[in-house]
Amino acid sequence: MDEVSNKDQDEKTVSRRNFFKVVIGVFAFLNGVVLGVPYIRAIITKAPLKKLHWSKVGDVTSLAAMQPKDMAFQMRSSDAFLHQEVTRSVWVIRHSESDYTVFSPICPHLGCHYKWDAQTNHFECPCHGSVFTINGKVIGGPAPRPLDTLPHKIENGVLYVEWERFKVGISKKVRV
Amino acid sequence: MNRLVKWFTDRWPFYQLRDLLLKEDIPGGSSFAYTIGSSILMIFALQVASGILQLFYYVPTTDHAYNSVSYLRTQVPFGWLVHNMHYWGASAMVFLVALHMVRVYTWGAYKKTPLTWFIGIALLLTTMALSFTGAPLIWDQKGYYAGEVGTSIAGEVPIIGNLLEIIMRGGQTMTQLTLSRFFAFHVGVFVPILALLIGMHIASFRTSGVAGPWDREKQKKTGPFWPDQAFKDLTVATVVLLALIALSVYFPVPYAGMADTINTTYVPKPEWNFLFIYQALKYFKGPLEPVGAAGVPAVFVLLLIIVPLIDRNPKRNPFHRPFAMACLVLYAGLIVTLSIIGYLSPGLAQPATGKKKEAKKTEEKKAAPRMSPEAKRGEKVFQKSGCRGCHKVHGKGGSVGPELTAEALKGKSRKWLMDQITSSSSHFPSMGPNTGMTEFTSMGKKDLHDLVSYLMSIAEGEAPAPEASPAPSEAGRKSPGIKKGEQIFQSKGCTGCHKVFGKGGSVGPELSGGTLKGKSRQWIEDQIRNPKSHFPNSVMPSFSGMSKEDIDDLVSYLMSMVGRSSPDPAAAASSEQDSKDPAGSDQDASHIKKGKELFQSQGCSGCHKINGKGGTVDPELSGDTLKDRNRKWIEDQIRNPKSHFPNSIMPSFSGLSKEDVNSLASYLKSLSGQSPSGSAAPSPAGSPQARKKQQAPAKQAETEKPEKSAQPPKAGEQPPSSAGGPSGPPPEQKALKEQVGKSAFIIGSAENGASLYKEECVSCHGPDGKDNVPNPGSKDGKVPPLNPIDRELYSPDPKVFVEHIDKIIQHGSTPEGPHPALHMPAWGDSRSLTQQEIANLEAYILQLNGVDRGKIVQPGLEPQTFFFIVLGLFVVAALLAGGAWARRRKE
Repeated sequence: MDEVSNKDQDEKTVSRRNFFKVVIGVFAFLNGVVLGVPYIRAIITKAPLKKLHWSKVGDVTSLAAMQPKDMAFQMRSSDAFLHQEVTRSVWVIRHSESDYTVFSPICPHLGCHYKWDAQTNHFECPCHGSVFTINGKVIGGPAPRPLDTLPHKIENGVLYVEWERFKVGISKKVRV
Repeated sequence: MNRLVKWFTDRWPFYQLRDLLLKEDIPGGSSFAYTIGSSILMIFALQVASGILQLFYYVPTTDHAYNSVSYLRTQVPFGWLVHNMHYWGASAMVFLVALHMVRVYTWGAYKKTPLTWFIGIALLLTTMALSFTGAPLIWDQKGYYAGEVGTSIAGEVPIIGNLLEIIMRGGQTMTQLTLSRFFAFHVGVFVPILALLIGMHIASFRTSGVAGPWDREKQKKTGPFWPDQAFKDLTVATVVLLALIALSVYFPVPYAGMADTINTTYVPKPEWNFLFIYQALKYFKGPLEPVGAAGVPAVFVLLLIIVPLIDRNPKRNPFHRPFAMACLVLYAGLIVTLSIIGYLSPGLAQPATGKKKEAKKTEEKKAAPRMSPEAKRGEKVFQKSGCRGCHKVHGKGGSVGPELTAEALKGKSRKWLMDQITSSSSHFPSMGPNTGMTEFTSMGKKDLHDLVSYLMSIAEGEAPAPEASPAPSEAGRKSPGIKKGEQIFQSKGCTGCHKVFGKGGSVGPELSGGTLKGKSRQWIEDQIRNPKSHFPNSVMPSFSGMSKEDIDDLVSYLMSMVGRSSPDPAAAASSEQDSKDPAGSDQDASHIKKGKELFQSQGCSGCHKINGKGGTVDPELSGDTLKDRNRKWIEDQIRNPKSHFPNSIMPSFSGLSKEDVNSLASYLKSLSGQSPSGSAAPSPAGSPQARKKQQAPAKQAETEKPEKSAQPPKAGEQPPSSAGGPSGPPPEQKALKEQVGKSAFIIGSAENGASLYKEECVSCHGPDGKDNVPNPGSKDGKVPPLNPIDRELYSPDPKVFVEHIDKIIQHGSTPEGPHPALHMPAWGDSRSLTQQEIANLEAYILQLNGVDRGKIVQPGLEPQTFFFIVLGLFVVAALLAGGAWARRRKE
């Protein structure tokens, strides 16, 4: 008699404990999800596309024609919570008084800074050996697309550009 | 005391934990072969310690990270030790983990304890992750690019790449958020993960036991871990520790310079432990690249994972597992080989080899826009005839007439175009007899033909030919080239050393006459770029920083003098005049000449007649039209015609630079008073008449001077000769000149500074700052040497030294003397160099003078002293231990 009731009670206790276990599991899972999802979301951030504005690069009337030149300029940069003057550079190629090409200095392959080789008349990237013509066309190396041009304008012989960046490593020019 | 211990151990499982960690019987007894793991554990502990110490000083922001680490390394007692130990500890850890895995593989231990092996792989990956996230934290050149390229590679992984990149960078680009993230991952994510995995690794091999030797016989005998194995572990760990200290003392991490994305002289390369991936990725090109980005690391890891799964051979003796051992050799060999190739691969800084060059050239030819020679000539006619003054082509030009786009010209026949050019009204009768377009009846037949060809090429939508690229005919090109070459010859200070027609310095040989006879263009070009290539002992500085075009012109000029012993009146007369009176009339002549070129290229002649030639839309400009107008009026008219004539249809040329407008005004001024019926287009520049007429030099000089000084010298360009003069700057400018730039507080990279020096400075300061490059017109007569530098600038204290030279590099300086040909450009003020680059240059200049920019100010103890003390202590301790041991054995 005693044994039976004990057994009954044991079974009851077991099922009650099983219930506890399930509840613990569910709540632990819930706790994890409730905070886990927003916490993980907090590290997958994507900055919104920045508004472009014209940055003054400098006087370009004295540039030699068809001689790419990297011109440095200052611009205000808002980098998350850092707002500061930064120096950037662009490659400027003068075709005529009013006709210029402005290349972003960033290799479209993996984001290194390429340079101009005056001896071979090519842009060459030191990182992975991409080679570009003066028109930005890829003629060697792994670069997936031509050099990126930047929007620009000339006012009174002074070049202004809209600094922007593009996703590297892909064949399409996608602004980031 | 005992009671206290008992009180504690009753309440806390100290003995249980101790036994778990130490009490273990090792099959086959202790061995030095098993000591690598414990050394790794010790290094991990050291990394945590040095890492936490660095956190006391490190600031994870892009603008302060580099300087905060520099501060730690130079200003904090033993900061140098902390940082270098962390650096070398990281390298040693990766190396020892690899060695540990080779050992485990060779012993076949993974067959008995596969879980331990798997956790080991996770440990390897976490170690690599720590290495990857650690490097960018300094935010130096090396780390920045390691981060940039590394995350880009991750971004190329198919499907999840973008997400990975965003998570790693905190956005799409490398920003402050990226640095924050690398910091958080390095310190807050991977370190705890590594600690956890180490715990699991140890627990795992304590549970499943260690494999022991492969020989069954040997396994029967066992030895305790404590203290037998622990003794051997300690011995090896001590050697490793001493080695790390030695590396920190004798091979401190070089300063790579603050991250600077616009310094292209830096060739990024990953840290040694990632070189094999870097190199392997090079073999995946184009669409295969994402495959490589995901595949290469995946394959290397996968191979490690499948080892215990596919290798079911129970034998552990490496001598009985030839295939498995061959795989190991192959695997390790592949990594080592790739790393070596990657290490040796040049940053592509060298010029391409001849064959490659040729291939590239043909490719470029293909790439260049194609245009028939006729159309090309037509384009020139288009420019010369002033069509551009009224018509836009490819978006550029005046807006009096319609833009000449492919669409506008579509369907027009050659005949129609020809008629339009010669007689516009015939096509547009509705506009009356005068459509406004000049009737170019006087145009030659050939010109007309070519012009139409050019217009047809536009209609066909061919790519615009870069205007300056079509090579003008030899005759047309030669003289401006030679003239420009001559200017370059003077501005670069060549006359300081070389005589031309008896004038000039006598350091180098005279260049007119027979000296250069028989030399090819190439030879002269090589001589200019690299004098030592022909004369190893030459003191001539290398002018490799000059543009190809400049060198070309210079060579043309030099070639033009071969065999001539007296100045040719046409080419060299001006040089004499220049030397007598640098601001004299010849400069005006060149101004006028430039103005004339502009007049044509801007299309003014499309509307204005000069000497009876040109369009009829607007008034003739030679003769009396402009007689009573002053320069200012003409300049205003060019910039904004409506200011004088509100109804004027003349387009505004406000896009021209000040200098251009100036030249144009000079040209136009030179015309006033000239008879309209002049002989067939005399060259105003060359004619003595024009030179006499040009009597406004004073005025011109006035308008010119401030403008020139306002124009910052561009990188790579040489300071303009004879400009500026020794006039003192205004007081407020002077105060500014006393200020040092940010660069003075950055410890730069001397190595990168040397590359920058070769690009920017060598032409004036000579190789290694040693040569006394002549500077005619200055009081000293030469450019001051940098090696050794002026004693007034020198200081053994790097901070003081840097402040002295920083002011000069930032703001430039003009040497004393009447007409110094060369002056120091204001590299910082003009932003020709970034502050980071200037810091690198300064480090190099200090190095030339025997001063270390990264000199440790507060070492705590001098590194070498410290090392010897440490070594001494260990040796004494070892000797004492050995002595005690020997004594006990005797007893």
